[in-house]
Amino acid sequence: MSNIVEVSDRLNAPLPFKPPSYKPAKRRHRFLRQILNDEAKRIQLKQQHAHDPNLVTYQSLSAPPSLRPTKTYCDITGLPTHYKSPHNQLRYYDKECYDIVKHMAPGVDQQYLALRSANVVLK
Amino acid sequence: MANKRTDEELPPRPAFPIPDFPAPTQPEPYYASYETGVPIAIDLGRSTTRIGLAKETSPNNVFPTVMSRFKDRRVNRMITLVGNDMYLDNVSKSNIRSAFDGPMINNWDVIEKVLDYGFLHCGVSSQGRVDNPIVMNEVLATPLQQRTSMMELLFEAYNVPKLAFGADCLFSYYQNGGSTGLVIGTGHDATHVIPVVEHKPVLSIAKRLDWGGRQATNYLMDFIGLKYPYFPTRLTTFQMEKIKQDYCYVSKDFSEEITHYLDLENLEKNDIVLEVPFTEVVKHQKTEEELQLEAERKREQIKRLHEQARERRLEKLVQKEADFSYFTGLKERMKSMNKREQIDVLRNEGFQDESEMNKHIANLEKSLKKARNEDIGENTSEEPPSFPLLEVPDEQLSEEQMKEKRKQRLMKANYDARMRAKQEKELAKKEAEEAAERDRKWRESDLSGWISDRRERLEKLIQRVKERKRLKEELTDRKSRAAQNRMKNIASLADEDRGAGRRKKTGNVTIDNDPNDTFGANDEDWAVYRAIAREEDDDAEEEVQQEILKIEEELLEYDPNFTVEDTLQRQFDWRNSLIHRFLRGPRNFDPEDQHQQHQIHINVERIRIPEILFQPSIAGVDQAGIVELAEDTLLRRLPGEKGFSGDESTEMMKDVFITGGQSLFQNFQERLDSDLRAVLPVGSPLRVRRAQDPLLDAWRGMAKWSLTDEARHSYVSRQEYAEYGAEYMKENNMGCVRL
Repeated sequence: MSNIVEVSDRLNAPLPFKPPSYKPAKRRHRFLRQILNDEAKRIQLKQQHAHDPNLVTYQSLSAPPSLRPTKTYCDITGLPTHYKSPHNQLRYYDKECYDIVKHMAPGVDQQYLALRSANVVLK
Repeated sequence: MANKRTDEELPPRPAFPIPDFPAPTQPEPYYASYETGVPIAIDLGRSTTRIGLAKETSPNNVFPTVMSRFKDRRVNRMITLVGNDMYLDNVSKSNIRSAFDGPMINNWDVIEKVLDYGFLHCGVSSQGRVDNPIVMNEVLATPLQQRTSMMELLFEAYNVPKLAFGADCLFSYYQNGGSTGLVIGTGHDATHVIPVVEHKPVLSIAKRLDWGGRQATNYLMDFIGLKYPYFPTRLTTFQMEKIKQDYCYVSKDFSEEITHYLDLENLEKNDIVLEVPFTEVVKHQKTEEELQLEAERKREQIKRLHEQARERRLEKLVQKEADFSYFTGLKERMKSMNKREQIDVLRNEGFQDESEMNKHIANLEKSLKKARNEDIGENTSEEPPSFPLLEVPDEQLSEEQMKEKRKQRLMKANYDARMRAKQEKELAKKEAEEAAERDRKWRESDLSGWISDRRERLEKLIQRVKERKRLKEELTDRKSRAAQNRMKNIASLADEDRGAGRRKKTGNVTIDNDPNDTFGANDEDWAVYRAIAREEDDDAEEEVQQEILKIEEELLEYDPNFTVEDTLQRQFDWRNSLIHRFLRGPRNFDPEDQHQQHQIHINVERIRIPEILFQPSIAGVDQAGIVELAEDTLLRRLPGEKGFSGDESTEMMKDVFITGGQSLFQNFQERLDSDLRAVLPVGSPLRVRRAQDPLLDAWRGMAKWSLTDEARHSYVSRQEYAEYGAEYMKENNMGCVRL
């Protein structure tokens, strides 16, 4: 118990290696999307200014979509399948899984779909 | 029966505890031999931070990049804990703050605390500054804002003399002595595929797959959450991560292995049972004596209830018999009446016409027959009791005797009813015996015909069960045909009952004040609901089940082609249920067992989670998997790039290097090797290797690199920072790009 107080005190006491004059600037809490948007704008401006086709940016590093045929798997069990429920687009392996898919509580189907980013997102 | 597997033959599956964080007994250690001027290498990972002076071979401190800030009630003060120290206290665990939103830093206060903590533990003792060059990792081609903020922090809050950035997987490659090769770094938030030619990374064709350890853990967590929606405890991210690390592995041949993963034989090998700790509720064990007493009491009660029911049934039977004889007598008498009288009599009895009465009588007869077959208590005495008073006319009897006579009349009625019931029963029994005899003869003379008849009947019964189930299901759907029909019936019934001359609703009539709506004024109105009630078919279903069982038994006995496996019950056996095997593994499930309630089974997930790196589409990530990325890089992107040829590609195949946390999955190397071999030209000199220590080599590479000449030219000094600003950066071979 006294342990954590000690540890905390040691961390929060004025640290010798920090300049005494240092005051942390007021920081804005930015979310991932904001950071990426700002960066995209900055890159756009920069490219307008002096175009550089080989510029490496965070966006340009992103891997392209796959060109191979995608395999489909049962959303419940993860086994390979080709069946898809017409009610809620869930993939299922067999009759037993379909029984589950058919009688799913409202919202659960969306949770399953969210696992493969196929859910409906309201904006 | 010989091949019937029983549960007793199978030993129970071992259940492993779900690991939790081993609480450190001591606070994080401090470094004793601090020196100024020696570079400090910081691998500020999204999950784990490693920090230490470059002269060491291993980082001094390895701790999770988290902070926890909370008010401690016991001492009434704010407490701030970082890294492993957080686990010293239980309250702090629920107040964890991360510095990251995805791969980006968004909480710089946490980062500052983490760095404070890191430098403190490195024993930095210089005054007013951290007098050491800093080598730190950053996200490859990180957004400028991230780097600017980090430089600001390091130069202004710590006054560091100079610093350099790089990508962790390239540091790891450097540590492992690579010069030309394809680096695949699987981090906590992303996976990079970076070609390196002669120590120089070709970043223009490097690719990032947005899938890392964090996403994999979250995916597993969501998947398990959906698999066991009613699991009593919530598993923490830490536990999930541990489960992933301990039990997931890369399948060498995924499409083949997954197809058979839920087979019983495979589950026997690969199903993992995990159990969370819980406090067992011990049920009060009753003694033998108590149990006996209880059973006795129960039996007694049941007996009494039976007797009462029997009495009631008998009373009803007598009543019915009286009714029956009354109406048949009436019918007889009516024959000698004229039309008018007949109608009067019928009206008095509440019938519309004669046919209605006949129907009533027929119904009575039917229910009588049924009632007689029910158990109404056998008269034990063989001798018929005598009722002497019944013969004596009323006038000769005293008050007392009259009472006695009434009683005797009742008793006689009871007795007669019983006797008639007995006869009825005997008749039924005889008929059944005869039928059985006929059946036996048929079987003996024409076995195949008999069997096909039984099979047909069984088939029909099963079909009926299915049909009923389907109908029930359809009724739950408002739009189905069955449900629509039902609605129609309701509507027409309601209309019929109201009569034809009903006026149309006018004015502001609501359901509450409609003067025409007299529904419910008469109690019999509610019978409409009984008429349209969904078939209460529990009893009927039970009957059908009994019959199916009976036929199955017969077939089992006489049909050589009908085995236990063919019975309906066997088809619903847990072994045949895919979902059962998926949820509960290769053993039966006892929902009462407290241990089993607190267990989860990990089976398909074991290979599914690591597979996402190879097939990101499983998790809905619209990017190519690492094999496709590597193939494209080796065969297309690199030869297409200016200044490179196929020779570099061939050279690169000789050293495909994997590092980072996810490369620790078992078989990762073998799978990558076989998948790449499948797509590369025949005879390619492919060689896949893994970092010596996929977790710490990045830090070691930083430490080693920080002392080299190259590093000396790559550092940005405080002076340069002050002069040129944060956008000024020197590119180096460790993946630091000018933004």
